[in-house]
Amino acid sequence: MTLLQSQTPQQVSELESFTYDDAIVRKFFWATLIWGLVAFLVGVILAVQLAYPQANLIPEIAFGRLRPLHTNAAIFAFAGNAIFTAVYYSTQRLCKCRMWSDKLSKLHFWGWQLIIVSAAITLPLGITQSKEYAELEWPIDLAIAVVWLGLFGTNFLMTLVKRRERHMYVALWFYIASLVAVTILHVFNNIWIPVGVVEFLKTGEVSSVSNLMKSYPVYAGVQDAFMQWWYGHNAVAFFLTTPFLGLMYYFLPKAAKRPVFSYKLSIIHFWSLVFIYIWAGPHHLHYTALPQWASTLGMAFSLMLWMPSWGGMINGLLTLRGAWHKVSTDPVLKFFVVGVTFYGMSTFEGPLLSVKTVNALSHYTDWTIAHVHAGTLGWNSFMTFGMLYWLAPRLFQTKGIYSVKLVSLHFWMGTIGILLYIISIYTAGITQGLMWRAFNENGTLAFPEFIETVTKLMPFYWIRAIGGTVFLASSLIGAYTLFMTWRQRPAKYDVPTHQAPALTKYYDDGPPPVSRLTSNAGIGHAGDRFLQGHWHRRWERLPVRFTVWVVVAVSIASIFEIIPTFLIKSNVPKITTVLPYTPLEIAGRDIYIAEGCYNCHSQMIRPIFSETERYGDYTKPGETIYDRPFQWGSRRIGPDLAREGKTNPNAAWHYDHFYDPRTTKGSIMPSYKHLYERDINFAEIQPRIVSLALLGTPYGDAVTNAEEMAREQARQVADSIREGSTVTELVDNLEDKQVVALIAYMQRLGTDLTRTPDEAATEEGASE
Amino acid sequence: MPHDPKILDHEYDGIQEFDNPTPGWWHFLFFLFLVFGVFYSVVSIAGSPYLPSPETKHKRASIAATLKKFASLGDLEPTADEIAYYAQDDEWMAYASSVFAANCASCHEADGGGKVGPNLTDEFGKNVRTIEDIHTVIANGANAGAMPAWSERFHPNDVILLSSYVASLRGTTPFSGAPAEGEQMEPWPEPAPRPETGDDAAEGGG
Repeated sequence: MTLLQSQTPQQVSELESFTYDDAIVRKFFWATLIWGLVAFLVGVILAVQLAYPQANLIPEIAFGRLRPLHTNAAIFAFAGNAIFTAVYYSTQRLCKCRMWSDKLSKLHFWGWQLIIVSAAITLPLGITQSKEYAELEWPIDLAIAVVWLGLFGTNFLMTLVKRRERHMYVALWFYIASLVAVTILHVFNNIWIPVGVVEFLKTGEVSSVSNLMKSYPVYAGVQDAFMQWWYGHNAVAFFLTTPFLGLMYYFLPKAAKRPVFSYKLSIIHFWSLVFIYIWAGPHHLHYTALPQWASTLGMAFSLMLWMPSWGGMINGLLTLRGAWHKVSTDPVLKFFVVGVTFYGMSTFEGPLLSVKTVNALSHYTDWTIAHVHAGTLGWNSFMTFGMLYWLAPRLFQTKGIYSVKLVSLHFWMGTIGILLYIISIYTAGITQGLMWRAFNENGTLAFPEFIETVTKLMPFYWIRAIGGTVFLASSLIGAYTLFMTWRQRPAKYDVPTHQAPALTKYYDDGPPPVSRLTSNAGIGHAGDRFLQGHWHRRWERLPVRFTVWVVVAVSIASIFEIIPTFLIKSNVPKITTVLPYTPLEIAGRDIYIAEGCYNCHSQMIRPIFSETERYGDYTKPGETIYDRPFQWGSRRIGPDLAREGKTNPNAAWHYDHFYDPRTTKGSIMPSYKHLYERDINFAEIQPRIVSLALLGTPYGDAVTNAEEMAREQARQVADSIREGSTVTELVDNLEDKQVVALIAYMQRLGTDLTRTPDEAATEEGASE
Repeated sequence: MPHDPKILDHEYDGIQEFDNPTPGWWHFLFFLFLVFGVFYSVVSIAGSPYLPSPETKHKRASIAATLKKFASLGDLEPTADEIAYYAQDDEWMAYASSVFAANCASCHEADGGGKVGPNLTDEFGKNVRTIEDIHTVIANGANAGAMPAWSERFHPNDVILLSSYVASLRGTTPFSGAPAEGEQMEPWPEPAPRPETGDDAAEGGG
């Protein structure tokens, strides 16, 4: 109406002809499907490894190295390509405009696949930063920044600028938020010093490939943990939630052929979601050494987040009002309905888990794993499959899908697979959490041996593996159906030409809103005019301004939480007896990181009585100031190791245990026999110490003498292994083997706190 | 729906939007949690006796648990008699066996048969000749740190009860015992008889 009224003849421009680039959408379509199958397959392998540790066949695909590959493949390869499929298909149509640059589209596609392949190569080789979902090392980080913002971002934003549709639809808002927030998160969580580059600048050479790929974060301990979970939580927010809401807002009303339930709800839930989500990260660190105020904000904002999240679910489900009869026959809608329902369930559970007392039970258990899979399998994968089935006949220009029966089979098997997975793992998580905190009448732990709480879970782990397999099989059926649909494609794709006028420079937003109130309070009138949302309608045609406001919304929260974390010194009180790791311990620590030990072992004892009874005194913030990166972990598949050096410093025990973890009956830990064959690369230790010193670790003598110090400590550790009563054969040149460095690190863990100042002085003297 | 609400004049690639108001219950819960979140943050960060820090709660739980556990026991003394006495107290030995399982079994096996740590069931001691030596080794550690000093972690009573438990393992038959190390130990002393009534042992472990 307003549009027609405001148009004067000179403001109407000529009709322009254009076509859509569906070839690029087809590329992302297949990449989504293929990487999805890879991610699910790796998931099934991991599930079997947990139930049957002998399945850790070779070190490169043992659980600790393979698990990051699964998470990265699921998030960035499967969900990532699904996002790009949705964005490239819907943006063109919502903007009545071909993507800005075909060349950038192609570079983006191949660049992203290259990043995935490099992840699949480096992670099994143990090249990792050990930050969950940000494991990829610095050269790949740079590539991600270039491909995400430089190629995808430029292409997408320029398409918005060149669009022929005046206003941006809600799906585009969500795409903008995802683009902006992921860029900010990725950049600020990946600020590091590359060891190899430092070495090259100082000496003109690089001692090893692993040094070239290695980096240390500029953040340490508490701050590193905070940054990582600010990132980690918001990766879920802006990679697995907002882009998929955008996907839902386009594909669900298309498939249902129904108008979206409420435009007003779209506006409110979009802005509240974007603003509130970013604060919630600290709920991943309840009861840890993170300052209390941050943890409190994390919980408060997680609770506030519940309704903004549900806004998306309401708009999704209520859009189907008047179309429910179609759900029983249209498999695409079935996937969407179950997907959105899982979204609603997960976004209710998230706030629940962020409540501190609930988190005390759930944290470190499989409950988190179940929660995540309800989200990723239920929401992300079902929304993706729904989209792929809707797209296939359109992209491949066939009459329909190859077999609706097979799609239904996929749907039902997939649903059963997900339910088997999550129900068994919810049970496992709650069971283990309750066992950890159970006490006997006489005040002792009811399950004093950690292993008892692991063997109890084995039946659930097998059910999970079966559920995962059923889900994988269902996806294979889906892949087959889509493949067969593709085979029915025409010899040559038809590329229809569309016409629309270019946007003119001048646009009248219509008359400003008039207050509907009858009283004469000025502020009331202003408020009522604001509530009518006329201003937002205006923003929707101003993509640059819109993007800037999203940046502001995302940044405010980040700044409010991040800056105090770095500035308030009293948050991390210094402990004088805490000293830097020795060169050999750093070498061992880097092995710990490369093997992915943090995937199964936490190093963070919470101030919870059952926990200090089991592991010893709780971890103090000041104990982790030299931890680059932090190793607090998020799951205890094995016991916490924060005080391992206090409770189990026996070198001989570790020597037996790393070789055959089944010396603890029922253990599901993989064997680390390869550490008994592989030599420590002593030459690469010095540059690592230099890099850490550059970041402010007070190394004395070690800055120049690290190699000799490491060799000396290795000899001592090797001697204490030889003196112990090991059942494992003593290998030749034991002092050169990687296992010795790892044991040195184990012996150091958690010992600084109770070191007397005298001992500390001697140690410090020795290292200077 | 009997009749559809107003459809807005927006249209994007065929997608339209209703001008529905946001649901009332949604608004209610949204504002409820906003208000609660602000209230909770302010109260919690400003500090309130109703919201003690986890550290404070931990300290209280720890003191309460120690009081509850050892109320009937008082403060034990690391004497030969005390160690020998509690080695014969079934209830306190059930208690100590759990502490042993949690902290000692990885090196000494759950039945004390020994692995990388010495066999505790045989007649020989690596660093132990008398029953008090057990307490010394547990409290201060041994073997250049391979055996940790547990006095840093445990209540003194726990160290004594663990010593009693280890003493009680002597002469038992493990599933598979490690070879003997060190020298023949002295026999453990018989504890002096104690009065039966009001005796702490009778209520021990409660």
